[in-house]
Amino acid sequence: MTGIDAIDHILNGGVPRGNTVLISGSVGTGKTSICIEFLVRGALNGENSLYLSVTEPTDKLLMNVIPFDFFDDKLVRQGKLQFVDLPKIYDKLGIDKEDLDFDQTRLLADTIAGIVEEQKIRRLVLDSVTSVCYRIREQERIRDFLLRLGTVLSAKGCTTLLVSEIRSSEDGYSQWGVEEALADGVIVTGNLERRGDLLRTLQIVKMRGTTHSRAKYVLDLTTSGVLLVPLLKGGSVASGG
Amino acid sequence: MAVEVSITSEIAEKLRALPDSSAVALHLKSDQYFDAIQGMLDRFAMKKDLEVVYVTSTIPSQSIINALEVLEIPMDHIWFVDCVSQIMMSQAKRHPHAIIVESPTMLENIMLKVEFLIRGHPDRNALVVLDSINSLAIHNNTKILSEFLHILVNHLRSRGAYTVIFSMREYETDEIRNMLVLVSDDSIELGK
Repeated sequence: MTGIDAIDHILNGGVPRGNTVLISGSVGTGKTSICIEFLVRGALNGENSLYLSVTEPTDKLLMNVIPFDFFDDKLVRQGKLQFVDLPKIYDKLGIDKEDLDFDQTRLLADTIAGIVEEQKIRRLVLDSVTSVCYRIREQERIRDFLLRLGTVLSAKGCTTLLVSEIRSSEDGYSQWGVEEALADGVIVTGNLERRGDLLRTLQIVKMRGTTHSRAKYVLDLTTSGVLLVPLLKGGSVASGG
Repeated sequence: MAVEVSITSEIAEKLRALPDSSAVALHLKSDQYFDAIQGMLDRFAMKKDLEVVYVTSTIPSQSIINALEVLEIPMDHIWFVDCVSQIMMSQAKRHPHAIIVESPTMLENIMLKVEFLIRGHPDRNALVVLDSINSLAIHNNTKILSEFLHILVNHLRSRGAYTVIFSMREYETDEIRNMLVLVSDDSIELGK
């Protein structure tokens, strides 16, 4: 169970423990909010949860996050819910070059796995995997990084959400194509324009180990969490998202 | 004045006679509009301790709130999903019990806001008012509107909520009548 009622419902239970799931979508479609709710729900359930931020300092992120009714500051104070800036990990590892070589890529995967093991993390979000992959650059190394990370985290029973940033015009669900192939699940968020209205949408494209809905849903990000309703099909649709 | 009393009493009595989780089509004339609202909110919902979610696509929520204040109906358990204020570019202040949906064409967002408000009061049963099917029909085609009603009403029924769908007699078409027959458990013809 993710603890997010609407998503658990369309997944017919939730994300299987240890799965690595790509949350893919263009800007402003709700990826980060979904991920943070996933972590907060986990922490409330007693699972240690970790958010690794690559692009946005966590201080700024927390200022802009939805004020969930169910959020409890105590989770952060007790260390149940942790926010870490990945650039600080780069600094600690002495990674200062823009491009990561093979050894640095492995070192990064092993370091994240080490944190997960040491802190007994059961839920992890990497926001975004796209930014990490930009520094790895080569498809082979990206594949190695994701396989290594996914295998170790799965073995530790850590369920992982990897945020994938794509442009709304792009085919596929990730920048390099490798990410979606290796993930156990793919959840796609998007913007759908219908007669001038812009609707936030969510669709489960793939989730190993479940019999999930494949329909498109309209998403709302509220203080009581993510809400979904089926996308109505009766109207004319001007363009897809 | 005698007519007003009879309309408010009539609607309250007819709603009270319905079983829980009922979906009702309320056929009324324009001049019965505010009496119907008073009867439904003051004489029915308050007596049954219901949390009211009032979806308005006919007039801005603030106009209804002003009328409720005149009628001295407390707003504590009445919430609005307002689908018209934004498209009217109204600068009026937003009441804390009103949530704005940008346009009456955003039917999914109406469902989401209704769900959000119901979730906020898990300990109380709800009455959801849809005001009105005729104004929604101005902005949406019959197919998508039927689909919307079908999903919304069944969802509310599964949550044990009452649904009342306003239909103004002056603007009713066969299509609207058929749609209401399909989704409603019962029909109330006010003043007949």
